[in-house]
Order: sequence, then C-alpha cells, then structure tokens
Amino acid sequence: MSQRTLPRLMQTPAVLLLLVWMLVPLGMTIFFSFIRYVLNNLRKPEWTTPSIDNWRGFGNYEYVLYKSKDFWFAVQNSVFIVGSIIVLTVALGLAIAVLINRSFPGRGMVRVLLISPFFVMPAVNAVLWINMLLDPVLGLNGLIVNGLNGVIDGLRDFPLLGNFFSFWPELQPISFRATQTSAYAVIVMVTWQWTPFAILIFMTSLQSEDQQQKEAAILDGASAWSQFVNLTIPHLARPIAIVIMIQAIFHLSLYAEIEIVSRGNGNKNLPYLIGEFASNNIGAASATGIFAVILANIVAIFLLRIIGKSLMD
Amino acid sequence: MFWPVLAWTVAIVFFFPIFWMVLTSFKTDADAVKPEHLIVFTPTLENYLNMIENYDFWRFAKNSVITSLFATTFTLFVGVPAAYAMAFNPSRHTKDILIWMLSTKMLPAAAVLYPMTFLTKNILGLFDTHFLIIIVLSLINLPIVIWMLFTYFKEIPKEIIEAGKMDGVSIWGEIKDIVLPLAWGGLASTALLCFIFCWNEAYWTVRLTTIDAATLSKLIEGNRAPEGLFFGRLSAVSTAAVGPIVVLGWFCQKQLVQGLTFGAVK
Repeated sequence: MSQRTLPRLMQTPAVLLLLVWMLVPLGMTIFFSFIRYVLNNLRKPEWTTPSIDNWRGFGNYEYVLYKSKDFWFAVQNSVFIVGSIIVLTVALGLAIAVLINRSFPGRGMVRVLLISPFFVMPAVNAVLWINMLLDPVLGLNGLIVNGLNGVIDGLRDFPLLGNFFSFWPELQPISFRATQTSAYAVIVMVTWQWTPFAILIFMTSLQSEDQQQKEAAILDGASAWSQFVNLTIPHLARPIAIVIMIQAIFHLSLYAEIEIVSRGNGNKNLPYLIGEFASNNIGAASATGIFAVILANIVAIFLLRIIGKSLMD
Repeated sequence: MFWPVLAWTVAIVFFFPIFWMVLTSFKTDADAVKPEHLIVFTPTLENYLNMIENYDFWRFAKNSVITSLFATTFTLFVGVPAAYAMAFNPSRHTKDILIWMLSTKMLPAAAVLYPMTFLTKNILGLFDTHFLIIIVLSLINLPIVIWMLFTYFKEIPKEIIEAGKMDGVSIWGEIKDIVLPLAWGGLASTALLCFIFCWNEAYWTVRLTTIDAATLSKLIEGNRAPEGLFFGRLSAVSTAAVGPIVVLGWFCQKQLVQGLTFGAVK
C-alpha cells in the first residue's frame, strides 16, 4: 500500500457518509419542488405519489412566491428574529465579556453561572420561558405585575401622594403568546440562551489582546471608552463576525421555540412554514425548502470564507 | 468594588431562570402559582416521583442516553481516522474537503424534512428506531467533530510523528502510541461536546420518532400543552432533562469555543 492510499482510505467513510447525507435528501427536495405532489387529494389521486409525470416546472416556486401570503411574511419574520437576536447577543456579549475580563473574587463561579443557559435544551428553554417566566397570569411576569398593582393600590391610601397614585392606571401584563408579541418571546428566550456563547467567545479572544498596546494607550491618556473603540473592537472584529454568522445559520432554522411559544401563530419563520406545507403540499414545502437553502447559503459563504482563511495558519 | 458587584449581578440574572426552574420543581403544582409561596414553601419530592410514575421518564431518558452515547461513539469512530489523515497527511484537497464538510452543517434541516420522513418511513423502514436517530445524530455532528479533532491534531508537532516513522512505527501504532496519548484531552472534550449536542438536538429527534426511539426533547415538546399549568411537574421533568448536561457543559467551556468557531477563535 502506498504512502498516499491509507490516508485517503481513512477519510473515505466520513466523506461518503456526508456525501450521501447531503445529496440524497437534498436531491429529493429538488425533485419534489418541480413536481405536483400532495398527500391528500381525492380529485387528483395521481398527485399523491411522487412521479416525473406530474412535472410542474417552476409552478411550485411561483405558487410559494405569489400565491401563498405567508411566504414573504415568513421571510421577513425570519430575518427580523435572527437580526434582533444577533444585535442583542453581540451587544450584551461584548458588554459582559469586557465586564468580567478582570480579576475579582469568584470570577470562576461567575463564568459558570453565565455559560449555563447555553447548555439548556431548546425545548426546555422555550417551555420554561413561555410558561413560568412570561405567562401573563401564572408566570413571574403576571405575578410581578400583580404585585406592583397591589403596591400602587396601597399607596392610594396615603394623603397627598395618594392623589397622584389614584390617577395611575392599573398595569397590564404583556401576553407573549399573542399574535403581535410571540416573536418577542422567541427573541427573548434565544437571546438568553445564546448571549453566553457570545460572552465565551469574546472572552477567549480578549485574553489574547495585546496588553502592552493597552498600557501604552493608558500612558498616552486614552480614556476607557476610546481604548474600547480603538483597540478592543478592532481586535474582536473576527470573533464578532464569526458570532454573527454562526448565529445566523443556527437561528435561521429555529423551530422548537416557535412551535412551543405559539404554534407559529403570528410568528412563522421559513422552517415553520415548510413544516406547515409538509403536512399536505410537498411540492410547495420543497420549493420553500430550496429558498431556505439559498438564504442560508448566502450567510454560509461569508462564514466559510473567514474560516477557510484562518484554517491553515 | 462596583465592577465585581455588577458582574455578579449580571451572572445571577442570567442564571436565574435555571435556578427558578430547579426551585419550582420542589414546589407542589398548587404552590408553584401562588404569589405567597414564591420563595417560602414546603419542599416536596412529589413532582419527581410523579414524573417517574406517570411520564415514563426513564424510557425517554434511556433513549436519550442510548442514542447520544452510540452516536458519539460512532462519530468518533469515523471522525478520528478522517481528522488524523487530514492533519498529518494533507493533500491539495484537504482544505476544500474540510470546508465542504462544514457546509453540510449549514443546510437548513427543514429543507429536507419531507424527504427524510419519506425515506425513513416508506423506503428504509427505519422511522422511530434507535438506529436511525443514532445515524442522524452522528451525521449532524460529524463535521464539527472532524473540525475539532483536526485543530487538536494539527497542534501536535510533526517531528514526533516523523521520528516515529523513522523508527518504523506502523500507522496504527502512530495513532495508538503517539497521537492518542497526546491528543487525549482534546479527544475527551470533543466527545463530551458531541454528547451534549446529541442530547439537546430537538429537530430530528422530535420529527423522526413517535414512541420507541423518542428522546427527552420529544417528551418535553410533546407534553407541554396539557401540562402548561402544572409548573411543578413541568419543572421537575425539565430539571431532570437538562441538569446533568448543564453540569457536563461546565467542564468543556474552553473546547466549546474551539468547537463552535471551528478553530477560528483561540
């Protein structure tokens, strides 16, 4: 056996497995996206089995783009959710990473507490937040608002001040299951889960920051803010880019949280829409799937380029 | 004094939901929604006993353990030789292969939801089997595992391997006697991280199972609606499902950075 053959053989199983895993289902999705394929159709029973005879060309794509009113909403909502989560996690992550990048008593413990949310399984995260924390009646949200109302009621009995509080309207807890707010519930819970990820990566990167440069900046009388903007942010440019893109890829396929919060009510994203189509109209589900692949690829290309650059150094 | 206090406050705020879940799991369902028992209550194990009795908790837990454990083993079994070959005998295409592997991870799962259901149900007949879940979990994690191992192996000085070759050590001997002992720490944390990802997976484990191979993710997602009002029970099941994993996670924080950023942040 030559020097080259064995290393190739060693990679073969991994390459073959991933090749099959990628090509077979994706190939089927592409095929299904070009045919008429519905699971239940009494009028046209021939459409219920996948066959090349039911060729529809780009009909499914046209249907999804122009006839289904949910598609553009789902795209917008996907982008809104992902964008909000990214802005919040990066901002919070930067602030907290800088905050704990110094030595203080119990720093190890603080790190452990901060990273914990990241390991909570998504289903538990969603169930925990939507019921026990955000529920407007029984959750902490409801209990706290009720408590505040009680306090305000009590204050009404005071002379003078009471007059002021008697005009105070009763507080209403926000219901996060409603059509208008369910996206916010998802944003809150995912931000809680992924801020630790941003913190961890920024913190790791901060530790390799050039300390001499910083000391020189201090000697020159640079303020803490100007150090942060002129030294720390440029140093963190690549980690920030990576945090943004990894999250974009992960959050474009959010599902469990959307399902648990409101069953997609007022808050569909592309994966959820695909799931809905897939209960009957496989053609439309597949066409939507291809759009989701395209959307994810736009992000992935940038991410892979950055990673590829750092790969060999 | 101000900054440490602020840091602790932030940490406590972030940990609070988990603390709250654990605390609530020791309250009765009735106490869990009463404002007067928010903090002061009589602790009870009732929820945990109930969970074992009425929820078939052990079956889901056992499925989670089996699928995650076997998937991790299988992933390492396929991933170690591949990463080894790519790190020590790179060819012109190694970089492209690595990037391509990673790109498979970026396909949105939902896009292939129906084909996967169709294949496993109608053609392969593997729907709702441990075997299927193990394979799917392995394939999902294989790219990350190969990347992590690749970055560990790359840090092993090539000279050591060369010296081994001079002494006529076989490739198997190289792996067993030189590389594995040196990369042991990396290997262990890769396995740990892979296990955590398998455990927390919630798309395929929910959609490709019904009963037989259903994992804890499925138990939580499936039972939440009628149980929404029973915060005590809900918390107990949730605590039991995430507790061990959160603790495991504490031990691989550092590797997490490497694993999730594919070696691009050190």
